[in-house]
Amino acid sequence: MKILVINAGSSSIKYQLYNMKDESVLASGRVERIGTESAIVTHEPADRPGVREVSEILDHVTAVRRVLDLLLHREHGVVNSIAEIEAVGHRVVHGGETFKESVLVDDEVKRGIRDLFDLAPLHNPAAMMGINAVEQNMPNMPQAVVFDTAFHQTMPRHAYLYPIPMALYRRHKIRRYGFHGTSHFYVSERAAGLIGRPIAELKMVTCHIGNGASCAAIEGGRSVDTSMGLTPLEGLMMGTRSGDIDPAIVPFVMSKEELTLGEVNSMLNKHSGMLAISGFSGDMREIVEAMEDGDKNARLAFDMFCYRLRKYVGAYAAAMNGLDALVFTAGIGENSPDVRKAVCDGLTFLGVELDEAANRQRSKEARVISTPQSRVKVLVVPTKEELIIARDTYRLVSERKAAGDALVGNGQ
Amino acid sequence: MKGLDVLLADRTEQQLSHGLRQIEQSLDKQIEKWALTKAEKKLILGRIRPVGSLDDMAECGMVIETVSEDLNIKKQVFAELDRVCGPHIILASNTSTLSQTELAGVTAHPERVIGLHFIYPAFKVDVVELIRGLKTSDETFEAARRFVEDTLNKQGIQVYESPGFVTSRLICLFINEAANLLQEGVATAEDIDKAMRIGYSFKHGPFEMADRFGLDSVVAALEQMFREYGELKYRPSVVLKKMVRAGQLGVKTGEGFFKYDEDGDRI
Repeated sequence: MKILVINAGSSSIKYQLYNMKDESVLASGRVERIGTESAIVTHEPADRPGVREVSEILDHVTAVRRVLDLLLHREHGVVNSIAEIEAVGHRVVHGGETFKESVLVDDEVKRGIRDLFDLAPLHNPAAMMGINAVEQNMPNMPQAVVFDTAFHQTMPRHAYLYPIPMALYRRHKIRRYGFHGTSHFYVSERAAGLIGRPIAELKMVTCHIGNGASCAAIEGGRSVDTSMGLTPLEGLMMGTRSGDIDPAIVPFVMSKEELTLGEVNSMLNKHSGMLAISGFSGDMREIVEAMEDGDKNARLAFDMFCYRLRKYVGAYAAAMNGLDALVFTAGIGENSPDVRKAVCDGLTFLGVELDEAANRQRSKEARVISTPQSRVKVLVVPTKEELIIARDTYRLVSERKAAGDALVGNGQ
Repeated sequence: MKGLDVLLADRTEQQLSHGLRQIEQSLDKQIEKWALTKAEKKLILGRIRPVGSLDDMAECGMVIETVSEDLNIKKQVFAELDRVCGPHIILASNTSTLSQTELAGVTAHPERVIGLHFIYPAFKVDVVELIRGLKTSDETFEAARRFVEDTLNKQGIQVYESPGFVTSRLICLFINEAANLLQEGVATAEDIDKAMRIGYSFKHGPFEMADRFGLDSVVAALEQMFREYGELKYRPSVVLKKMVRAGQLGVKTGEGFFKYDEDGDRI
């Protein structure tokens, strides 16, 4: 049973092909700069040389076709026919209250995802393009969607409601949803395993900090609060997103600068965060590099980023009345010892004691980076959202098959 | 911006590159307002391909004509497009006052001709008038409506052919009557604008609106409607005509009823 996992962005597609027998990755890769004449396809099979090529790829349909070509390729391919692929799983950012768990795609599900475009304008339309691209290239292929919001559906009302008129929740379902749920779920389970204690008795804060960033308070394996809200704009400071700001800034700026709704949205999503403060980049690697070269604005962006993250960890420790583990994951969380140190150094009052050497150690493995005495365990756990998507897709397709077999059985 | 591949044609090489420059400037202005990022601008410009002649339009799904608001020039363009483009290709005109039916008359397939009136500034205004000529087919109308609503994410309104359609007819009369008020000395341009802007939630008052459209375009539209309807209310105000004769056309010349800097902001 092979499952293809697709994570479609507005101009990129990342993919992995899983063999669900042993959950191994047969091949992975990405298509970048879709929509240009110089799109880059990187294909990396597990057991043979990879390939990287630049060509014109103008839309997601063509991008998926290229991916399939490579999966079937005589030299770089890993399957003999498309029929070997049992199903495709997609990452979808916003499931709203419509989707509390992963589901198989049908017309109603597609409508549901489309209805949520307003809430995740950068992401849901891209996921939709991915779904349609698969449909056009592989008609009748079962597809599943796994939502970033689903894991946080366990949040209690006092955490997910906003203190604004309740009519807005009733009419428009305005509430906190949270994102990166698949990642928070995976790393919390993995962290509990590493610590060697049942997840049911642990209080954790998981920090998924990549280009988008969120943290979650996880008590007994259930998400009880998370920093992103109705949209992925709330919470932590990010690469180009503002995170928390005084909401009154929005109407104020709109009137002062004569901005339209679209413009102010774009300002907060694409022109803010570390990019706005550093003045040159929203990429943490470039920020740290410039900071080491003495760039004051880069230093300010770094300090603000870590300060805001540390405040959230403190707040969630208070929300859960305790903290057993602090988990870092995603691009920055996995690869920036500087950020981890800056955050942990201000959390000694909670009992966080970082092992500096372990923190500096580069590794792709999940690991503990706090000292043995540290009351709060600090961990780095590389996220594997794709694996969770593959598992959910596999489960859904198998269940449907079983149900179908049962029906046929009854008919006889 | 919506992921479409666009071919751009103009009469001369110079006008073509001028057009591209204007698109670039418009995108830069949006970047200044944080509406776009530099990467998005590059992507958009990468999708626009300037072409040397209308012959290249044969590969398009839809052609939108936006040449000067002059019936004879438009007729020439439509005759040419009709020759080049297969009958399945929709030919749309961005005219604001001229007759669709008359344009369609010069083609062999009038059923695929339709009016798409984008309101200036087109990238910001999310409504488009879909104008049915006498022979426009239902299929053409439906395809154009899908293009406007699903691809461009704008609202389409259906309009049956009539000079000035809905928007130009109402807005030009509004501007013209404001000019009459000014001429009669009832109030200053500044105060008339303020009254309408604040009083009735217009983004701009009638005079700034006229400055942004271009006073020559406003006068031309009024004259066209005056000719077609023959009613005095469409006769362009003397104030407007005088300013056009003086070359004081609004934002594009730096001065109309008000003064503007190079970026088109009020001074």
